[in-house]
Formats: sequence, C-alpha cells, structure tokens
Amino acid sequence: MTPAVDLDATLSALADPTRRGVVELLRARPRRAGELARAFEVSAPAMSRHLRVLRTRGLVEEQRGGEDGRVRMYRLRREPFDALRSWVEEVEAFWGDQLESFRGHVARRRPGRTS
Amino acid sequence: MTRSDEVVRASTVVAAAPDDAFRLFTDEVDAWWRRGPRFRFRPGADGVMRFEGEAGGRLVEAFDAAGEDVYEVGRILAWEPPGRLCFEFRARAFAPGETTRVEIRFEAVAQGTRVVVEHAGFEAFAADHPVRHGLVGPAFGAMMGSWWADLLLAARRRAAERSAA
Repeated sequence: MTPAVDLDATLSALADPTRRGVVELLRARPRRAGELARAFEVSAPAMSRHLRVLRTRGLVEEQRGGEDGRVRMYRLRREPFDALRSWVEEVEAFWGDQLESFRGHVARRRPGRTS
Repeated sequence: MTRSDEVVRASTVVAAAPDDAFRLFTDEVDAWWRRGPRFRFRPGADGVMRFEGEAGGRLVEAFDAAGEDVYEVGRILAWEPPGRLCFEFRARAFAPGETTRVEIRFEAVAQGTRVVVEHAGFEAFAADHPVRHGLVGPAFGAMMGSWWADLLLAARRRAAERSAA
C-alpha cells in the first residue's frame, strides 16, 4: 500500500499555490507558458521558473506546438496518474482478498447457515 | 467533504446474520485477516490482530503476549453493531499523523449479510477533518491530501472512460 511516485519531489513541487494552480489548469489540456503566466498574473520569467520546477520533478513535460514547432506547450505527465491508479487497484485487491478470507471464515464457523 | 469518487470499495456476501457477521469480523479478526507482508504490518513477523475496546479503542497488531509491542493500525471511530464499524487505517509506509479511514457496513440480505468496505484514503488528510485534530503537520497533510485526492479523481475518471470505450 505504498504510493509508487516520489512523494517528496511531488510535494516540494506543489508547495507553491501557483504551481498547484498550473497543475489544475493543465489537467484540462496542454497550454502555452504565456497563457499560464497570464492566468496567474505573474511575469514570464516567474512562470518559467515554476514550470522548470514542475518539469524537473516530473509532473509536467514540454512539447513543441504550432505550425513551425516553435511554440512551447506544457502538459501533465501520465506517470503520477498511472502510479496512483496502481495504488487504487492495490487497495481494491487488498480488501477483495480480505473479504474473501472473511467469507471463508464465516462459512467455516457457521457451516449450517450456508446459503 | 467526502467525495464518493475518492473511496475504494469492495464487498462480499457472507452466510451469517449481521450480528454474527459483525462479531466474527471483530472478535475473530486475527483468524481471517490474511497473513504475510502484504496484509500484516511488520515484515517477517505476523503478530495477532485485534480490536481493543470499542469506539475510542483501537485496531492493533500485537507482537508479544504482554501487549506492549504493538502496531496501532488506527483508532476505532465507530462501533455500531450490527450495522457499522469504522476505524482509521495507517499503513506501514505512512508518515506520522497520516492516516486513512475504513468503514465496514453489514447489511442484511436474503443469503446472510452483505459486507461492504469503503476505504477513504484521502479526504482524511484534510486539515479540517476530525481525524486530524491534534495531529502534527495539518497543512502538510492537507496539501498532500488534496493532491492525492485530485489525482485519484482523475485516475478513476480515466479508468471509467477507458472501460466505457
């Protein structure tokens, strides 16, 4: 039942409200750095620093967009989501196995009441 | 602030009435709680699982007869036989003060009792949740809790979209 992503890196990246907001916005779709800077009313260099933190901690990735490939787009990476889904599946399997064991225990202790 | 999407659910039907099922679930927890590192709380040494006390008590795994060497899985938050049991669940990997919440419901059905487990992993980290009162680092926990809650929500939506496709 251990989350498989690097929580320390994730947490430090998200210690800042602007960066948490960026993650929120990128959940909908990839966006340009300039668009993100305007959304949070911060300067382009400040947004650039935030994006670099998110990128180095593995939360977002950069992609080239636009007709000439010169527009930098940022988007969320899949891995934290995949890691989380594995964790959820692990918890589901944990309780599924536990309940199966409990069901067997009840059947052994109450043999006359089996349906 | 419970959002149902954040809850992991599992259920089964057992061949006993709810009051029997509740009693077997609690009194005999060590008999059915599976063994080994995936299920127990200390690698290489299965102890004895037991619910100590009722509401306000705790679920523990004890490693000695005197009950001094125990792993506290969590406090018992609700003890309402025959229908409902609720306790905190702290996995080995959790940091101090971090916990999740498990609710067990025992519902009478024709074949016996439907046992429903709901494991709420993440909203319990919120600073304003009663579970967190008196625990260290609420701001840290709240931030982490909302982050994981959001990820969980998104992950489950994706899974639903994939299975619908």
